[in-house]
Amino acid sequence: MLKVENLTVKYGVIPAVMNVSLTVGRGQIVAILGANGAGKTTTLKAIMGVLRPASGQISYQGEDITHMSPSNRVRKGIALVPEGRGIFNRLTVEENLLLGAYSRSGNDVIMKDLKEVYALFPRLEERKKQIAGTLSGGEQQMLALGRGLMSKPQLLLLDEPSLGLAPLVVRELYATISRIREQGVTILLVEQSAAVALGASDYAYVLESGSLKLSGKPEELKSLEDVKRVYLGG
Amino acid sequence: MFSWSYFLQQTMNGVILGCIYALLALGMTVVYGILRLINFAHGALITVGAFFVYFIFFRAGINLAASLLLVLGFGGLMGLLLDVIAYRKLRGGPEVALLITSLGFYTFVENFMKMVVSPQPYSFKTPAYLAVMYKTSLLTFRSIDVFIIVSSLLIMFIFNLFVKKTRMGIAMRATAENLEVAHLMGIEVNRVIALAFALGSAIAAFTGFLWGAKYGQIAYDMGFLTGVKAFVAVVVGGVGSIPGAMVGGFVLGLAEILSIAFLPTRFAEYRDGIVFGILILVLLLRPSGLMGVKEEVRV
Amino acid sequence: MKQGIRAEWYFLLGGLLLFGGAFLATQFLNRYLLYILVLMGIYSIATVSLNLTNGYAGLFSLGHAAFMAIGAYTSTLLTFPLALREAYELPMLPAFLGGPNFVWPFFPAICMGGVLASVAALLIGAPVLRLRGHYLSVASLGFVVIVTTLAKTMKGLTRGPMGISAIPSYTNIYWTYLWLLITVYVIWRIVNSRFGRAMMALREDETAAQVLGVYPMKYKLMSFVVGAFFAGVAGGLYAHFTKAIRPFEFSFFLTFQIVVMLILGGMGTTAGPIVGAVSLLTLRYALKPLEEHLKIYGLIEIIYAVLLIVVMLFKPEGLVGQKRGVKKITVGGKSSA
Ligand SMILES: Nc1ncnc2c1ncn2[C@@H]1O[C@H](COP(=O)(O)OP(=O)(O)OP(=O)(O)O)[C@@H](O)[C@H]1O
Ligand SMILES: [Mg+2]
Repeated sequence: MLKVENLTVKYGVIPAVMNVSLTVGRGQIVAILGANGAGKTTTLKAIMGVLRPASGQISYQGEDITHMSPSNRVRKGIALVPEGRGIFNRLTVEENLLLGAYSRSGNDVIMKDLKEVYALFPRLEERKKQIAGTLSGGEQQMLALGRGLMSKPQLLLLDEPSLGLAPLVVRELYATISRIREQGVTILLVEQSAAVALGASDYAYVLESGSLKLSGKPEELKSLEDVKRVYLGG
Repeated sequence: MFSWSYFLQQTMNGVILGCIYALLALGMTVVYGILRLINFAHGALITVGAFFVYFIFFRAGINLAASLLLVLGFGGLMGLLLDVIAYRKLRGGPEVALLITSLGFYTFVENFMKMVVSPQPYSFKTPAYLAVMYKTSLLTFRSIDVFIIVSSLLIMFIFNLFVKKTRMGIAMRATAENLEVAHLMGIEVNRVIALAFALGSAIAAFTGFLWGAKYGQIAYDMGFLTGVKAFVAVVVGGVGSIPGAMVGGFVLGLAEILSIAFLPTRFAEYRDGIVFGILILVLLLRPSGLMGVKEEVRV
Repeated sequence: MKQGIRAEWYFLLGGLLLFGGAFLATQFLNRYLLYILVLMGIYSIATVSLNLTNGYAGLFSLGHAAFMAIGAYTSTLLTFPLALREAYELPMLPAFLGGPNFVWPFFPAICMGGVLASVAALLIGAPVLRLRGHYLSVASLGFVVIVTTLAKTMKGLTRGPMGISAIPSYTNIYWTYLWLLITVYVIWRIVNSRFGRAMMALREDETAAQVLGVYPMKYKLMSFVVGAFFAGVAGGLYAHFTKAIRPFEFSFFLTFQIVVMLILGGMGTTAGPIVGAVSLLTLRYALKPLEEHLKIYGLIEIIYAVLLIVVMLFKPEGLVGQKRGVKKITVGGKSSA
C-alpha cells in the first residue's frame, strides 16, 4: 500500500529524518513510535506531501508520489489527522467535516458519508452547528478523525491521536480506530505512548533522533529490553 | 443647535462613507486573515477603478451597467495579476516582505496614474438619472445615494453568502484560520488566496466608481488615505473577522462624518486625524476590535 | 572588551577620515555637489535609525516622517531668531522649552528635537507594540497623518500649511557628518550588546525568545524610541539645512523614500542603510535633469517603487546584505527543504 524508501527530510540544513524506510500493507495498522523530536510528525508530513523530502522515495499503491502535491494525494486517498488535531476553531462542526471532503465531488455521496461519520460519532451530529473551538478535547479528536474520514481515505495517517485524552477516552478512540480499519482503511499511526499503540497495531517502527532504530511485530518489540525501558516505562 | 434633519442628513452621509469603507475592508480583512498582509495595493485599486469607469463610461460612452461589470472584471484581473506575479513568490518568506512589496505597488500605481492622467483632479459627473434630487421634510438625497447604499448592501450580502455557504467560501475561512491544515485537507491554498485577491480587488475597483459618483471628483492619489482608513476599519471591527470588517466600516464612516458635522467648523481640518485617533484609541482599549477574536499566536 | 576598544579606534579613525574628506569637499566641490553630499548625510542618519527599528528589531514602522517632522519643527522653533518671531506671529513657546524670549544654540536644539520625537514614539509605541502583527505599520502611518494634520492646523506654532521659512542655516557638512558618526556609533553599540542580541533573537522567533526570558515589550519599545530620536535629529538637521519647512514635506512619501533606501541597501546590516541612501540620492540627482527635461513628474517615484519591488522579489537581502537562511513555511506544494 505504502512504501517509503530512504526518506530524508530537512528543515533548512538540519535533517529531522534520515534514511527512513518503512512499508505499510493494505488493511494493516502500523505504528511509528519515538520520543519527542524523533521525527515522527515530520515523517507523516512528508508522506502527506506538505514537506518535501531532500531525498528518498515514497510510493503509494505502486505509484511514485514523491513529487505529488498534497491536494492530489488527498484525491488519491491519503488523509492526515494532524498532531493537536488542527480543528478549524472558528468554523462549525459540520463545516469542518465538509472541508474533509473538499477534494471530492458529488454532493450525494458526500452527504451519505457525512451520515456515516455521524453514525460513527453521534456526539458530532448533536453538535453539528456548534463552533468547533468550543468542543471538548475528546470531541475535537472525534471531529478530527471524522474529518479525516470525510475524504474517503484508503490510507489514514494519525498523528498522536491519544494526546491529552483520559485513559477511558483513549480506549474508546482505539476501538473506533479498529472499526475504521474493519471498513477497509489502512492506518499508519504515530504515538509516544507505546503501550496503547502496540496493543492495536500489526507492525511497529521505532524512530530515534530521526533514524529508524527498530522494527517488528508488537509482541517482539514488547519483549525487547530497550523498548520496555524507554517506551513502556518498565 | 441640534436639528433632527441635520442629524439624519449627516447620518446618511456617514452611512454612505461607511458603505465605502466596509466594501474595501471586506477584501482587506480576508487577505490579512490568510497572509497577515496589510495590502496597501488595495487602495490603488480604488484609484484605478475610478479612472477605468471614467474612461470607458464618460469618454468611450459604454453604458453604465456594462461599465460596472467591466470594472468589476478589470479589478479582479488586476488583483489576480498582482498575486500571481509578485505575492505568490514571496509567500513563506518573512511576512514583512509582502507588506513592503505592497507599498511598492501602491507607490508605483499612484505615480503611474499621476504621469498618465496628470496630477490635476478630474471631475466625475454622474449621469442625470443618478443625480435626481429627492426632498422630504427630514432628508434630502440623490438617487446616487440610494444606489450606493443598495449596491453596497447587495455586495456585502452576496459576499457573506459566498463565504458561508459555498465550498470555496468555507475553504477561504478555513485557510484564514489555519493555512497548514487547510493544505492538509487538500485545499489548493494558492487558488484560494488568488480568489481572495481577485474578489477583494474587484470590489475595491467598483468602490472607486462609488467614490467618484458620490463626491464628484477623482484624483491619482485618492486611494491612499481611503485604503489606509479601510484598514483602520478592519482593525476597529476586529482583524480577520468578516462581519467585523463591515461593522468597522460603518462605525468609522459614521464617526468621521458625525464628528466633523457636530464639532465647530474649524475642526474640519482634523478629519483624517480623528480617524487615526480612533485607531489608536481602539488599539489601546480593545485591540481585538469590536467583533474580533483574539489573534492567535502564530509560530 | 579588547575587541570593543579596537572597534572604537576604528570609529575614531573613520571619523577623522570623514572630516578630512568633508574638509576637502568644502575646498574642491561646487555648492550643488556639496548640497547633495549634506543631503546624503541627513538621509543616511534617517535610514540608519530606521534600520534599528525595522532591520534589527524586526518591527515595521512607517512613522519616520512624523518623527522627522517633530524634530524639524521643535529645533526650528527653539532656534528661531527673536526678531523674526514677532513678525511671523510665531509662538509663545511653552516655558519648559525656554519660553518666548530665549533662543537655543543649535546643538541642544537638535537634541531636544530628538527627545520630543522619542517621547512621541513612547506614547505611540506603548499601546501598539504590545500587539502582534503589523499593527505598528498602520498605527505609525496614522501617526504621520496626525502629525501633518497638526502641523497644518496649529497655526500659532507652525504657521500652518505655508510653513516656516527663514530658519537659520546652521547645518553644514561637519555637523551632518558628526551626527551621522554619532548615530552609526550608538546604533552599532546597541546592536552589538547583550541588548542587541536579545532584540535580534526576538526578531527571529518571538516565542522562543520569550521562553528564554526575553521580555519583548522592553526591547521593541527601546528600539522604536531610539530610532525616533535619530529621526528627530535628521529632521532638525534638514530644517536648518533647507531653511524652510512645510507640513507636506513630511508626508508618507518621505517615509517611503527612507524605507526604499533601507531595503535597497539591506535591512539589518551596518553599511546597508548608508549605501542605500547614497545610491538612491545619486540616482535621484542623476535623473533630475531628465525628469525636468521630459516633464514627466513622478518618474523618480516610479523608479523607486520598481526598485523596491525588484529588490524584494529578487534580492531581498539588499545590496550589502547576506542571504539569511529564512525558515520557510510550505505553501501550495512549494517547499524549502
Ligand atoms: N518547522 C520546523 N522548523 C525547524 N525544525 C523543525 C520544524 N518542525 C520540526 N522541527 C525539528 O525536527 C525534529 C523532528 O520534529 P518532529 O515534529 O517530527 O518530532 P516528533 O517526533 O513528531 O516529536 P513529538 O513527539 O514531540 O511530536 C525536531 O528536532 C524538531 O525540532
Ligand atoms: Mg509530533
